[in-house]
Amino acid sequence: MCMGLVSSLVRLVLSPQFFGPIVFPGLVTVLAVLLSIIWVERKIAARVQMRVGPLYILRPLGGAIQMLADGLRFFFQEFIVPETVDRVPFLLAPVVAMSFAMLPFAFVPLAPNFKPYTVPYSMPAFLGLNTVIPLTVLAMAWGSNNKFSIQGGIREAYMTIAYEAVLFISAYSMALLYHTLDFAEMVEAQKVPGILLNPISALVFFIAMIMSAGKLPFDIVEGEQEIVAGPFTEYSGIAFGLTMGIGYVQLYGFTLAFTLMYLSGWEPLVAPLYSIYPALGGILLFVKAYLLLVFIVFLRAVYGRYRLDQALRIGWRTLFPLAIVSVFLSIALGVIGVV
Amino acid sequence: MSSSVMEARLLEKEGDEEVYEVFIGPQHPASGHMRLIVRLEGDVIVGVDPDIGWVHRTMEKLAESKEALKAIPLLERMTIIDSQNVTIGYVRALEKLLGVEPPPRARYLRTLLSEINRIASHLYGMGLAGIFVNHSTMFMWCFGDREVWIQLAEELTGARLTHSYSVPGGVRRDLPQGFKEKALKAIRYMEKRLDEYHRIFFDNPQVRARYEGVGVLKPHEARRLGVVGPNLRASGVRYDARLLGDYGVYDELEFEIPVREEGDAMSRLLLRGDEIRQSMNIIRQVLDKIPEGPILAEKYLRLIPPKLREPALKEGRIKFPGIFANLKLPKGEAVARAEMGHGEIFYHVTSDGSKKPYRVRVVTPSFRNVILFRYLPPGHRFMDLPAIYGSLDYFPPEADR
Repeated sequence: MCMGLVSSLVRLVLSPQFFGPIVFPGLVTVLAVLLSIIWVERKIAARVQMRVGPLYILRPLGGAIQMLADGLRFFFQEFIVPETVDRVPFLLAPVVAMSFAMLPFAFVPLAPNFKPYTVPYSMPAFLGLNTVIPLTVLAMAWGSNNKFSIQGGIREAYMTIAYEAVLFISAYSMALLYHTLDFAEMVEAQKVPGILLNPISALVFFIAMIMSAGKLPFDIVEGEQEIVAGPFTEYSGIAFGLTMGIGYVQLYGFTLAFTLMYLSGWEPLVAPLYSIYPALGGILLFVKAYLLLVFIVFLRAVYGRYRLDQALRIGWRTLFPLAIVSVFLSIALGVIGVV
Repeated sequence: MSSSVMEARLLEKEGDEEVYEVFIGPQHPASGHMRLIVRLEGDVIVGVDPDIGWVHRTMEKLAESKEALKAIPLLERMTIIDSQNVTIGYVRALEKLLGVEPPPRARYLRTLLSEINRIASHLYGMGLAGIFVNHSTMFMWCFGDREVWIQLAEELTGARLTHSYSVPGGVRRDLPQGFKEKALKAIRYMEKRLDEYHRIFFDNPQVRARYEGVGVLKPHEARRLGVVGPNLRASGVRYDARLLGDYGVYDELEFEIPVREEGDAMSRLLLRGDEIRQSMNIIRQVLDKIPEGPILAEKYLRLIPPKLREPALKEGRIKFPGIFANLKLPKGEAVARAEMGHGEIFYHVTSDGSKKPYRVRVVTPSFRNVILFRYLPPGHRFMDLPAIYGSLDYFPPEADR
């Protein structure tokens, strides 16, 4: 009886439907990535800027669990709800945002025949779930009832329409190229990495995903020099921690999608690990995505922030035509019969 | 963008329902010790009211309540990052009242510290200009490299920031041993770093996009608004209080006053880089040309008891006798100007013949430049406000006094 329970629990944990969203690459891995990438970001910036960075918490590892300490502090800090806020959206929006940032991981395949949800259109589902987040940010901005928050909300709205179309078009151009809307089939279709087949689409998707996650040089929504923390100004405690984490979670998801579409995903497959347990075959997918993530957070040490109208101009006047060009490039490649 | 900053002021319409008022400061991550009341129409600024006075410390009144010498450590707290340049004008005014001139060596030493302070002050301003567009690397680099010059000043004066180095009739300390080598090493380092600043910041397309063509100040407007310092020279007006030859040894040295024509935020930043190069040029010449001799005027050296005078001269450290603090200022008035990192500072000291000055009037460069907050931003985007603020190198405690 007891053994039966344990084995059925193990079977549950190891089933793709559970393992994908909850363990890897989902919840547990997301938390680990969150804790590590912020530390990596601060350490890289510190190295460039002739500083030490986080150090004192777990000194032998160079302050590696600094973010754990920060997270704990967020947990035990008082969460102040101002009297003037609209309570329902104010309290609900960060939670909804975090949930929708986590959901897309259910559509990320890890290895051949290891998909949490077997749907033939995992790519649009992945991108579609991400589009909910800007709406929750608008809800936070409106619910906060603060001038700086509303300014930040308007910026989020402008930015969203600038990058979202571009993000979708460049992703769909790859779908045209591979004749599929499924991440796993895309990986199988990549004899040559997609970034070499359609570099324009890769570039556009890359910039659009940085815009989407609000990282430098496009951290316009949070522009602390003008609007304090943008839509998140009134948040404190764990809710602020959530709002801070959303961008990173989103970015991690996007780097996984980028790896699947342009960097041939888990290929070459690590066969020994795959034979132990299929999900472990996704280790290379994770490594590629993480390196990409490190590169993006490194940009913080190089760039400042673009102005809102400049970012919109980049989105509409540069990226949008490029995204259209990438569609035609994909069609041309399809006609020639490269893939 | 508006054609003229003077006309841009007219964009604001009183009591307009469309106008969105944002209070930036005094508790805001980027406001400094001040408040900017910004009026927006959409994303475009139609009016800015700089609300100053949050760090007013009654400097002028306090200076009246102290013996003339004791006001030096007080007044340098107006601009603690540039304390030699902020007090040299006051010291010159006292010297004019007392009828005493510093010996040549003291004048060279004053020039040396003035330029060290100017470099540190410009680095401070450039660093803040970096963080105002969220360029954290520029911020950290400038503040880190500023330490080089602060340590050099500490070597010379014994204090990192509050040097109180110049006193009526001379300076407090002589050049320490091995100072020249350290200074030359610092100059070599800084020259290398300025090139690196160009690579990471000034030639960075993102930074150029934020600063170029933003907050243009035309020469005639700069003159009319009474702007001073690098903000004036970046608009093509060649004015620098060092050219007056009233203090230091600037008339004996060869250096240029950098001037730029564009008048935008980028040229204001680049001009500070140019000035750092010129200051290093001046430091080199000072170290080569500095003559031997006393560092305090003969008249005051005689006040030191003979037993202490010899060791003081040998060591190059002057410990003032009590009588020195009680100098009686002759009745009269004196004015002096000096060029700080932020611009020209003006002192007007009036004496009624007692130990304490009757009135000390200070006009600081930041106070004269604060008007730009009103005239430069209208017509620009909201996000240009920090860029303009960063380019002005405005220092609230100095303006509020």
